[in-house]
Amino acid sequence: MSTTEFEGVMELDIEGIEQSALHQVSPTEMETRDLSVWFGRRKVLEGVNISFPKQTVTALIGPSGCGKSTFIRTLNRLHELIPGAALAGSVLYEGKDIYDADVDPVHIRLKVGMVFQKPNPFPSMTIRGNVLSGLKLSGMKRDNHDDIVEQTLTAAGLWAEVKDRLGSAAGDLSGGQQQRLVIARALAVQPHVLLMDEPCSALDPASTLKIEETIRELSKEITIIIVTHNMQQAVRVSDYTAFFLAEEGTPGHVVEQGATTEIFGNPQQQRTLDYVNGRFG
Amino acid sequence: MSTTTFDPAALEQLQQQKSGRPWRKKPARFTASVTLAVVIPALLVAALFLTSDIPVPILLVVIYLPLQLIASGIAAWATKGTRGIADSVIIVNAIGASLFSIVVLVSVIGSLVVRGLRALSPHFLFQNSVYISPSTPLDYGGIGHSLVGTLLIVFIASLISVPIGIATAVYITEVRGRAVPYVRFFVQAMSGVPSVVAGLFILTIVVATGAFNQSAFAGGLAYAILMLPTVARTAEEVLKLVPDDLRTGALALGSTRARTVLRVVIPAARTGIITAVILGVARVIGETAPLLLAAGNNDQTVLNPFGSPISSVPTYIFNNVALPYPDAVARAWGSALVLIILVAILFTLARVLGRGRVGR
Repeated sequence: MSTTEFEGVMELDIEGIEQSALHQVSPTEMETRDLSVWFGRRKVLEGVNISFPKQTVTALIGPSGCGKSTFIRTLNRLHELIPGAALAGSVLYEGKDIYDADVDPVHIRLKVGMVFQKPNPFPSMTIRGNVLSGLKLSGMKRDNHDDIVEQTLTAAGLWAEVKDRLGSAAGDLSGGQQQRLVIARALAVQPHVLLMDEPCSALDPASTLKIEETIRELSKEITIIIVTHNMQQAVRVSDYTAFFLAEEGTPGHVVEQGATTEIFGNPQQQRTLDYVNGRFG
Repeated sequence: MSTTTFDPAALEQLQQQKSGRPWRKKPARFTASVTLAVVIPALLVAALFLTSDIPVPILLVVIYLPLQLIASGIAAWATKGTRGIADSVIIVNAIGASLFSIVVLVSVIGSLVVRGLRALSPHFLFQNSVYISPSTPLDYGGIGHSLVGTLLIVFIASLISVPIGIATAVYITEVRGRAVPYVRFFVQAMSGVPSVVAGLFILTIVVATGAFNQSAFAGGLAYAILMLPTVARTAEEVLKLVPDDLRTGALALGSTRARTVLRVVIPAARTGIITAVILGVARVIGETAPLLLAAGNNDQTVLNPFGSPISSVPTYIFNNVALPYPDAVARAWGSALVLIILVAILFTLARVLGRGRVGR
């Protein structure tokens, strides 16, 4: 083996290491670049740069009113439905800006599903109807509806409880069951990304635990971005964490982001340390 | 504080417990004063009624109501002190006002029954008025033709105004386009159109131009003008009640706006929309003037909505009630009774339809 050859191998290796460090473990599914958001003339978010690697869970934490929910709603273009909403920067999904003129928001919302803070099953539909509603509403064709109902309800951890009453009204379920039902509903259209806006804030500890198990299970297949006020939950479910903060009169921004173990175990910023230890917010 | 544990020995005693409503218990003093407050004014007014000839309405409004207010005030003061007085004034007034509206309703129905019941019979509902003159005894003829006419006209009016009304409401609440303030203004203005003007309008632009005869269709058009604002405004109100969560929920599933409205928002507001339709029908079903002008009159049963003038219950009443023949007047009252029963049936039907829930 000559020295030149050896040097070549060395160089290649170093590049490989650099690349894996740059792209972390898995390739990026979604990312935002210099994203700023306004409601009317009020700027609520400024310069947010986050990337969400494929098949990971990212937790967005921060005190109320720091723009986490607003941020998450820019990722599936629900933000634009609010009158007076405005935005700058870009949101890339699979490398393409979802706010490009030729992108249909309906397609984005099919790929980027969402679960809301308050369970919102459709009251006019049955449990089964709710699970399949995404297919009907988006006009997506999938065969074997019975299988889809069973698979998604199983994935959401609800199948055992409702398998004998799929035909009853969705409104008859308890709050925790309704939340798992809407998770199943979101999964039925096979999204690649699932946004969850404080999905457990209205639930009891047992339901919360079930949903957290569901999240861990789902992250083997899809990318999950979850807003949470529960620090323990962020630690339990997420791989990455981004800490948002809106100081007195300024727009919200990301103070610190990185691997969850780092953010909670060894935060670089005093404010992050204070927040994750419950000293403010 | 010491820890307590469940004691099995107490179980038997617990199982003996009887359920009750402790919050309903009232002190004897309360019961006594309320009874006195109810009985004394009633007795006083009854005595006045028997001994003097003050007319009953004056007796009730000028003497009984203030008397009852004062008595209730005293009773409230006796049991709860001064803060009870305002309470009792409001309660007595509320009960009085609701009794008043019930009395009005009952007396309206009562007068219809008293004067119209004589005319009711199976043939009154199913026969028409061919060969029947105002002086014909009640043993012959009926308002079958007018009932058919009213149903046909209301059906045509609903067919036109319900889709347009709901579409208007959807435009205002769901599309939220730029013209919303103007659309709302015009709908509001339309609800102020006097019914006779609606009839005249159809008479001039549909009947007088020769486009259509006086007919169920022309009458339906006139009714539709009157129904539309009621349907649109009520539907708007109920669509506004549908939580935005459902809309964003549907959109987040990759739904288009049209599908969101058709499959999520309108089904969620179904009961309310049915109510909107009933209110629209109730608004028009007794209107006489537009039908006198646009639908005309006929003694025969007409089923063709376009061909010829057609009878309806309100016009039948209008044509008969002022005639100098007791039987014709009885027929008019009977028709009014049938009309009110028809409205009641429609309301019940719509309620039953609207109640249908998801699932089994």
